[in-house]
Amino acid sequence: MTTKSIDLSLEIWRQKDSKATGDFETYTLQNISTDMSFLEMLDVLNENLTREGRDPVAFDHDCREGICGMCGAVVNGIAHGPEPETTLCQLHMRHFNSGDTLVIEPFRSRAFPIMKDLITDRSALDRIIQAGGYVSVNTGGAPDGNAIPIPSTTAELAMDAASCIGCGACVASCPNGAAMLFTGAKISQLSLLSQGQPERKERAMAMVTAMDKEGFGNCTNERECEAVCPKGISIRNIAIMNREYVKASVLG
Amino acid sequence: MAITGCCLVLFLCSHAAGNATLFYSTQLFQAYADQLHSHPLIVSVFSKGLFLIFAVHAITGSLLFLQNRKARGQGYKIQTRAVKNSQASSTMIYSGLLILLFALIHTAVVSFGDHGKIGITISELFDSFFVSIFYLIAFIGLALHLSHGFWSMLQTFGVNHPRYNKLISRLTYVVPVFFLLIFSAIPLLFLFGTGQ
Repeated sequence: MTTKSIDLSLEIWRQKDSKATGDFETYTLQNISTDMSFLEMLDVLNENLTREGRDPVAFDHDCREGICGMCGAVVNGIAHGPEPETTLCQLHMRHFNSGDTLVIEPFRSRAFPIMKDLITDRSALDRIIQAGGYVSVNTGGAPDGNAIPIPSTTAELAMDAASCIGCGACVASCPNGAAMLFTGAKISQLSLLSQGQPERKERAMAMVTAMDKEGFGNCTNERECEAVCPKGISIRNIAIMNREYVKASVLG
Repeated sequence: MAITGCCLVLFLCSHAAGNATLFYSTQLFQAYADQLHSHPLIVSVFSKGLFLIFAVHAITGSLLFLQNRKARGQGYKIQTRAVKNSQASSTMIYSGLLILLFALIHTAVVSFGDHGKIGITISELFDSFFVSIFYLIAFIGLALHLSHGFWSMLQTFGVNHPRYNKLISRLTYVVPVFFLLIFSAIPLLFLFGTGQ
């Protein structure tokens, strides 16, 4: 199998620190193997920049296998790039053509301040989890794996919601900068299972309150989040969250 | 938004039912209006309630629009949508403002006009080509608004289940088209001279 190479023009958001006003800078790259991932392509760019004595482009990454939720940028207006259900690290250069111009921007939202270049502070999502995205378990002997019977459809739904890696693409793509898909997934993941029942109401109230406090916008059901989610999480989880919230606030 | 929106859809149903008398004759419509206004308490409660619901819907919608724009912060250089057919959802504020403008004009002319001769007011109103066109444009705006609003309302209420989603996606077309047809039929009938 022969490897194809492509030439690219990149327009990347450069911003020195959280206080600086950033701007786009244009770079050109030659001979990029189409077997490379998007992040490997950025690695090549950074090697070139370092050799030239220039500041490399700062971007977040960790596992590079699509499960940690650390990477992410907006490529040509779409969070995590054009491939559906793919994180930026799993996006390969074979999806682009020679001569393409790629505009690479950080995940933007009022609740995600930019730290440097493509790195944003997504700790607002952590604080939503801290508010109630957990179950309190009294320690003791480990329960038997099959001691609590759960219908397989429920288990599947909970697992679908639990596949959220917290990357923040939902917030970045939402025209309102809302974090409802993230919070909805985290709430429904626990509310569907028996372990989540004791704290169900407190959880819904606390996590929604935390979400509002962080300055995220409101959901107007635009469905952008679901379209860019690298894990394909459905907005059905937002509907579940709405039900949970109404139940908790009206019925108490 | 969803609760007031739901109330407004119910109002549209009753309004469409009342309007349907016009398909028979302006006399029948006049009789319907007279009958309605012979119960001043009902008219008073419903019109004030409707005004309140409409105002809450419009004000909440506008505040949401402003809040959300602020939450978005800086926009992207490349503005594109991952969802196809998102025209209705991204233009809710504009279709909403068009409906608000229409509602203000429509109530000023028709609702605060002389109820005793509302049938004549209507037939005179739609004699004007431009008024009819304005009404038709407003009804298209309403249909666009409903095509996102109806589904969005159900989603907010938490109604999203694979068992019902097919029905809901059909209703997303049926509901706005139904109101578009039943409302725009009236100016069209008068415009083409078949209204009496």
